Amino acid sequence: MKGGRKKVKQQSYYDYSMLILVIFIVAFGLVMVYSASSYTAQTKQEYNYDAAYFLKKQTWAVLLGILAMLIVSKFDYRLLIRPIGHLKIRLVTCLYLLSIVLQIVVLFAGKELNGSKRWLNIGGMGFQPSEITKIAVILYTSYLIYKAPRAMNKGLGVVRVFIFMLIPIMAVAIENFSTALVIGVIMAGICFVSSKKKWFYGIAALICTGIGGLFIVLGGAYRVERFEIWRNIETHEKGHQIRQGMYAIASGGMFGTGLGQSMQKLGFIPEAFNDMIFTIICEELGLFGAIVVVSMFLILIWRIFIIAVNAPDLFGGLICAGVLIHIALQVILNICVVTNFVPATGVSLPFISYGGTSVSILLAEMGLVLSVSNRIESR
Amino acid sequence: MSVINLSKEGRVKAFQKRGMAFVVIMFITLAVVLICRLSYLMICKADYYGEIARELHERERAVKAKRGVLYDRNGTVIAGNVSVSTISVIHSQIKEPERVIEILSKELGLDTEYVRKRVEKISSREKVKSNVPKETSDIIREYNLAGVMVDEDYKRYYPYSTLASHVIGFTGADNQGIIGLEVTYDKYLQGQDGAILTLTNARGIEIENAAENRKEPVNGKGLLLSLDINIQQYAEQAAKKVLEQKQAKAASIIVMNPQNGEIYAMVTTPEFDLNNPFTAPETDSAGSAQDDGSENKSGKKLSSDELNAMWRNPCISNTYEPGSTFKIITAAAALEENVVKLDDTFSCPGFITVEDRRIRCHKAGGHGAETFKQGIMNSCNPVFITIGARLGVDNFYKYLDRFKVLYKTGVDLPGEAGTIIHKQKNVGAVELATVSFGQSFQITPLRLMATASSIVNGGHTVVPHFGVGIVDDATDRIEKIQYESESGVVSDGVSQTMRSLLEAVVSEGTGKKAYVEGFHIGGKTGTSEKLPRRNGKYIASCLGFAPADNPTVMALVLVDEPQGIYYGGTIAAPVIGELFENILPYLGIEKDSAVSLEE
Repeated sequence: MKGGRKKVKQQSYYDYSMLILVIFIVAFGLVMVYSASSYTAQTKQEYNYDAAYFLKKQTWAVLLGILAMLIVSKFDYRLLIRPIGHLKIRLVTCLYLLSIVLQIVVLFAGKELNGSKRWLNIGGMGFQPSEITKIAVILYTSYLIYKAPRAMNKGLGVVRVFIFMLIPIMAVAIENFSTALVIGVIMAGICFVSSKKKWFYGIAALICTGIGGLFIVLGGAYRVERFEIWRNIETHEKGHQIRQGMYAIASGGMFGTGLGQSMQKLGFIPEAFNDMIFTIICEELGLFGAIVVVSMFLILIWRIFIIAVNAPDLFGGLICAGVLIHIALQVILNICVVTNFVPATGVSLPFISYGGTSVSILLAEMGLVLSVSNRIESR
Repeated sequence: MSVINLSKEGRVKAFQKRGMAFVVIMFITLAVVLICRLSYLMICKADYYGEIARELHERERAVKAKRGVLYDRNGTVIAGNVSVSTISVIHSQIKEPERVIEILSKELGLDTEYVRKRVEKISSREKVKSNVPKETSDIIREYNLAGVMVDEDYKRYYPYSTLASHVIGFTGADNQGIIGLEVTYDKYLQGQDGAILTLTNARGIEIENAAENRKEPVNGKGLLLSLDINIQQYAEQAAKKVLEQKQAKAASIIVMNPQNGEIYAMVTTPEFDLNNPFTAPETDSAGSAQDDGSENKSGKKLSSDELNAMWRNPCISNTYEPGSTFKIITAAAALEENVVKLDDTFSCPGFITVEDRRIRCHKAGGHGAETFKQGIMNSCNPVFITIGARLGVDNFYKYLDRFKVLYKTGVDLPGEAGTIIHKQKNVGAVELATVSFGQSFQITPLRLMATASSIVNGGHTVVPHFGVGIVDDATDRIEKIQYESESGVVSDGVSQTMRSLLEAVVSEGTGKKAYVEGFHIGGKTGTSEKLPRRNGKYIASCLGFAPADNPTVMALVLVDEPQGIYYGGTIAAPVIGELFENILPYLGIEKDSAVSLEE
């Protein structure tokens, strides 16, 4: 055996194909954000009538994210679980605590937008702490399980992880239920992957569905209404956004109206560049474009999966699994919502939807996955 | 040293890899399901949602169809269209707001502040002024101002403004007829609006360079009328004259062809201005029938009741007791039923007793002994009460039915009133007596004319009408409008007798003042006391026709509530005479020199 450092360098497996795929997807996202947002930006004074307003903001976030991705990918992800200096605290714990603090801060000092406090303003830049919570939960869940993998086969061990994670998830849920749901599913997914007792999760999923159903029935007018909108999308007055999205999707046809030619983005779909961006992709690029986008995500997921199963340790594997579930879940949920498969929830399309925090954090997550890939020893 | 030792515990185990694989397979499965859903939406539902989306994006800019033109019998346009424009501004497209404000206020004669408000209002489209004359809008278009839209439109225009206003009617803002012929023939006149379909964004602003879909408008069909503007003008002048001379409340004149029911003129004074139908006519606008109807006459705003009263056409919508003019019908029925001969003699002591009632004749002292012919010429009530009694209720009603007195005429104008008369089973001797000389029931003036026509025209019914043909301007073809006619109302002989009797009324009897030298004119006068009785309100009327032996024109004059003398023979008959003096030569009815020689 030679020196450890040299050995690692020689055998490193840096997943360049995935890196390029990710950069391709975010670049495509920028094009679509510009296409979907230019009309809105151009016509509103709050955006200085600047057609590229959203594109510029998103580009900065993407550049920041890519930088973060490259830096993170070059570091050893295991640094996260090593004690810092002489302190007994680890980076992953810091991140976990930070996310909780930020989430509490946002409840008091957050900027209110559309009736929800989800934004923190730091140095003129707004960001969403709930996105930080996503990455913190992925890392801390993986860490907890890594420390005691066998406990995951026992009820008590799982409950312990759940209790730890319940704190940030509940903090998010106060203002942003759909993101909390996404984070909860990511956490449960990681537990599912690490546990031997898969059937337990099947039962748990059934119970959750039951509770969720009860929640809809008993959970107050707001959620019942969402359910009503979902069932009567073409007639319900509040189904406007989804209905307009359906028109956009359906008017795309096989090959779409052409890039930049969407009609629905001209004020018919409110904030078409956000969660509804997939509908504009469908309208402009057609079924063909939609399948290409879904396929890009499939390939990305496949690459993460390959890295996950080949990860040098369980921590790395679970990080990859968490990121994989995060991306897959959001893609599926987003498309489900815009095609009115499930009641509307605010879930964005990863890498493509407008949203600086989201894309930066996602890119940082990809950095983690690349970092894991970097540690894979070739056999 | 920095490498963390990986225990066997820390490795990713097979079951964990299976867990990840399960997640990935779930994802792939769901992705495939979603692609199926997308394919379903984008292929199977594409047409359905695409259609909805297209409707959402397309704005229809209506292109108004030209409303059909109304022609009088000589082909003169009496209801046409003028091009007008609507000037509007689009806020987001205006580049030089100050210049736009300045030019628009100058050219449109509007207040600067008013225009500024419109220009500075943030809306997709703001109307500045509509019904702008074409010349003005052309000037504005010349300036080529960004953000100023000039949309052409048509507006109904009545060149003779007040002429036959109650008959022609006018249209509303949506090009729909509101009263008169404009209503009756609306479906022909309207045509079909076209549209320009343009793509717009959610704020309704048109997208430049987008393909336009155009649907051409189908212009309305024209209508050829039997109305003759010259006769109408003569009649209007005559009506106005009598109205002023007698200080009457209203005067109506109908001129009709008794052979086929074509109406040449229908006048009710005062007329109103069709180009400004919502303002009262000027009260003393003598002889302004051809006034060019300049806009914004200082008429006050009228309430809807006042408007309806002004627009009402009494010739067809009001009923009245016809009085002695109705004796034509009683006489014709009696002759047809053979209950009287021309030389039957009657005696009039100035009244007649029916059951317990004493019914007076209009001549206080009575007419004394007279033949039936003299009875008609004198318009003697006892004579007609007697022959009415001879006919009996059943026969009388048989003839009322045959003469169509009980029914509407079917004239092609909206709002025709029906006849108000006793039910046959309720008619006793007194009622029969009063009906015989034209009292105690009500008919419209036009009903009287139609029935009188059928009696003097040889015995066929006529439907009074204005519409003669539908004109297709594109092909210049005229499609004739057909009207029903039943024959055998009275026999030829009776018709012949009636004509000579009524000619005698004019030449020697109560209708003397309707006489025009050189013409054979038949007629009958009437004076009806309005209800309630004894308040001094009368309607003086006179019916006349010419030439008496083969009538081609018939006229009815009604003077409503004349001041002073109110007898039909004194007030209404001269109007007929004056009218005929003018229109008989115009209609090409030649003077018969023999008539004047006979005299």
